[in-house]
Amino acid sequence: MINRRDFGKIGLVAGLAATMGRPAWAASAADTAVKAAQQYKGRTITIVWEAGLQSLDPTHFSGPKWKELTGMDVKVVEVATAEMFTKIMQDYKSGAGAYDALNVIPAWMPDLAQAGALEVLDPYVEKYGYAPELQTIAPTYRDNQMKVGGKIYGFPDDGDVFLMYYRRDLFEDPAVQKAFKEKTGKDLAVPKTWADFDVVGAGLTAILKDKGIYGASFFRQPPYAMYMFEERFRNEGGKFFDADTMKATINSDVGVKVFTDMRNENKFMPPGVEQFGFVENLATFLQGQSAMTISWPPYGRWAEGYGTDQEALNWVPKTTIAGKVGYALPPGGHPELAAGFALSISSTSKNKDAAYLFIQWLNSEDVSRQRVQLPYTLRDPFRDAHYADPGYLALWPNAKDYLAALKQASQTGLLDLSLLQTDKYEEVLRQAISKLWAGDDPKTILDAAAAQWNDITQKIGVDKQKPVYAAWAAESGAYPKT
Amino acid sequence: MAAIAHPDRNFKYWLILPAVFLLLLVGLFPLIFSLVVSFMRVTMLETDTSFAGLVNYVQLFHDARLWQSLLHTLLIMVIALPIELLLGLAMAYLFLDRMPGRQLLVSLLVLPTIISPIVAGATWRLLFDNRYGPINQIIGWFAGHPVPALWTVNPGLVYPAIIFCEIWQWTPFMFLILLAALSNVDRSLTEAAEIDGARFWRSFRYVVLPAIFPVMSIAILIRGLDLFRIFDIIWALTAGGPGTMTETISVYTYVQGFKQFESSYTAAIAFLVIALLTVIVTWAIRRMGLAK
Repeated sequence: MINRRDFGKIGLVAGLAATMGRPAWAASAADTAVKAAQQYKGRTITIVWEAGLQSLDPTHFSGPKWKELTGMDVKVVEVATAEMFTKIMQDYKSGAGAYDALNVIPAWMPDLAQAGALEVLDPYVEKYGYAPELQTIAPTYRDNQMKVGGKIYGFPDDGDVFLMYYRRDLFEDPAVQKAFKEKTGKDLAVPKTWADFDVVGAGLTAILKDKGIYGASFFRQPPYAMYMFEERFRNEGGKFFDADTMKATINSDVGVKVFTDMRNENKFMPPGVEQFGFVENLATFLQGQSAMTISWPPYGRWAEGYGTDQEALNWVPKTTIAGKVGYALPPGGHPELAAGFALSISSTSKNKDAAYLFIQWLNSEDVSRQRVQLPYTLRDPFRDAHYADPGYLALWPNAKDYLAALKQASQTGLLDLSLLQTDKYEEVLRQAISKLWAGDDPKTILDAAAAQWNDITQKIGVDKQKPVYAAWAAESGAYPKT
Repeated sequence: MAAIAHPDRNFKYWLILPAVFLLLLVGLFPLIFSLVVSFMRVTMLETDTSFAGLVNYVQLFHDARLWQSLLHTLLIMVIALPIELLLGLAMAYLFLDRMPGRQLLVSLLVLPTIISPIVAGATWRLLFDNRYGPINQIIGWFAGHPVPALWTVNPGLVYPAIIFCEIWQWTPFMFLILLAALSNVDRSLTEAAEIDGARFWRSFRYVVLPAIFPVMSIAILIRGLDLFRIFDIIWALTAGGPGTMTETISVYTYVQGFKQFESSYTAAIAFLVIALLTVIVTWAIRRMGLAK
C-alpha cells in the first residue's frame, strides 16, 4: 500500500526526472502539438518557406504527415530567399494576414520584431510545455537565434554553419606530404589559421596544379563572400563598430588585411573563382579539382554522395571524392552561422494557435530528427540529439566525423551581424566585395564602406541602433571569446 | 399641344461616369498616392509615417549614387540606341528584297525580342561564365590559349557585355519596324531618283529617310524609353555591380524600394524620373515633329 511517504518519494523521483529530461511516460513536444492541434481539424495553415529544395520538406514530408496526424492542411508559399523579407513585411504592413507561419532568417529578427510582424512565442511555449525541448537545441543556435529583447520570436530550425571540407586522401598522401615539405619547409596539415591556409593553399596548388587540382576554391560571389568576410574579420580580431560611438570599424587594419588576403588567395584558386557561386564551387570540389573549400553542411553530404540519387538533386554534380573527404572547422575555429532559418508566427495570422502547434511539431526533437535526414532538403542538424543520432551516424562511413565537426561548429559558431536594417549594411558589404574582385584598392573600398555604414547608422539613429548592437554584441556568438 | 418631354441633357454623362471613375481609380489614384507618399516618411521598416515635406526631394540632390545611376543609364542609352538603329536599318535593307527563306529568317531574327529580358540576361550570364560558358572558350580557340575573361566582374568588360546583350535582344525590334517602314516606301520615287543619277546615299538621304522618318522616330522613342528603364538584363548579369558601376536608374529605384524598403524616397525617385522623362519625351516629340 502506498503511504504518504511513498507519495513523497514518487514526487521526488518525478521532479528529478522532469529536471533531467523527459520522463518516459511524458508526452513529447511533437505528441503534445499533435493532440492539441486535432481540435483544428479542417483548417489550413499557410507557411512561408524558401523556394527550391528547402520547400520539399513541407510539400513532400512534413505537410502530408501533419495532415495525416491532425487533419489540418498545410499550404506552402514558396518564396525566393531574397524576397522573403519583403513578402513577410508586405503582408504585415497590409494587414492581409495571408501567412500564418514563417521561415525567418535569424538576422532579420530584430527588424521584424521591432516592426511588430512576429508573434511573441513565450506564452505558447509555456502553454504547450515546449521549454525543455528548446533547451536541447545546440547552444549557438539556441542562444543566438531565438530571442529579441529577451522574448522568443522564433525557433532555430536549421543548423546552417560553414565547415571546411578537405581532401583527406591528398593530405594523407606521403608523396604530397613530401613535396609540400620540400616546397614550404612545413608539414602538411589541415590549416587552423588563415596564415596557415595561405601557405597550404598556395603550396598544394603549386604541387597539384598539373593534375588539375587547386589548393582551394571558394564561392566568391558577393552574397556568399560577405559571410566569409564577416567570419574571417572577426576570427582575426575585427569588430564591426566602436560600441561607444557606433562608428563603423570595418576599415580597420584587420579589415584591410582580410580584404587584401582574400584577393591574394584567388591567385592559387581556379581561374575565374571570382565568379564562383554555390554551385560552381560545389562542382569544382566534387569533381576533385580543389583540395579545400568552405561551405554550408550540404557540401559534406553531397561529397559523400548522400541523397544525390534523388530526383530533386539530379543537378548536383556526381561526386568523384566519396570516402576521401575530411571535415574541419574553418581557419580561426569560429565558423559563420551564415543565414539559417527560424520558425516564427506572423502577428497578423488568423490561426496563430494552430500555426504555433505546427511549428512546435516541426521543430520538436522527434520530427526535426527526421527532417534533417531528408536527403532532398537542405535543413541541417541543429539539435544535440541530431549529432548523435544512430540513423544519421550510419548514413555514410565517415558521417560520424561530419557530425562531430558540425557539433563542434554548433558550439563555437559566429552569429551573422544582426541590427536594425541589417540588409542595408550587408548590401554595402556585398558591393565592397564586388569592387574588391574588380580590382579596387582594399583600403579605399573599406573606407567608403565604413562611411556608408556610418550614414546608414545616422539615418536610423545612433541612439536606436546602439542598444541593438550592444545586445547583439553581448550574444555568445557575436565575437569569438578570447 | 402638349410639351415634348426632353430627356435629361446630363444623362450621357451619367452613363460614362462609371468608366471614368474606374479609369481614375486605376490610373490616377496610384499616381496621386505615390505623390503623397513621396512627401512622407514611409519605409517598410519603421512605424513613423509622418509628413516629411520636401525632405525626400532635397535628398535626391545630395544622392551621388542616384546621379551616377542616371549617368550609367544615359551611357548605355547613347551607345546602344544608335547601334540598334543602324544595325536594324542595315538588316531591314538586307531583307527588303525577296529572297529564298526570307519569312523564316525574319521570324528567327525576331526571336530574341519575344524572350523575357530576365531570361535573356540569365542566359547570357551563363554564356559569359568563365567556367561553363562557350564565349570564353570560343575566344580561347582563336587566341590559342585559355582566356579567363570575367565579363560580369571585370570593370573593363561589364559594359560591353551589357550593351552586347541589349543590342542582341532589341535590334530585331528596330529591324522589324524599319522593315515595315521601308516596305511602304514608294518604289517609284527611289527608282526615279536612280534614273536621275542619285546614288544610294543621296537616294536614302533625300527620298527614303523622309519617308520612313515618322516610323523611325517612333521606334527611336520607344527604344529610348525602354533603354531608360533598362533593368532585367543588368539585374541578371551584374545586379548593378561591380560595386554600383552598372547600376541604372531602374536598378537603383528597385534597390531603394524593394531591398532597402525606402518607400517614400523611392516614390520621390519615381517622380524625378517621371519629370525627366516628360521633359525628354516632350522635347523629342517636338524635335521629331511627331506632334504634327
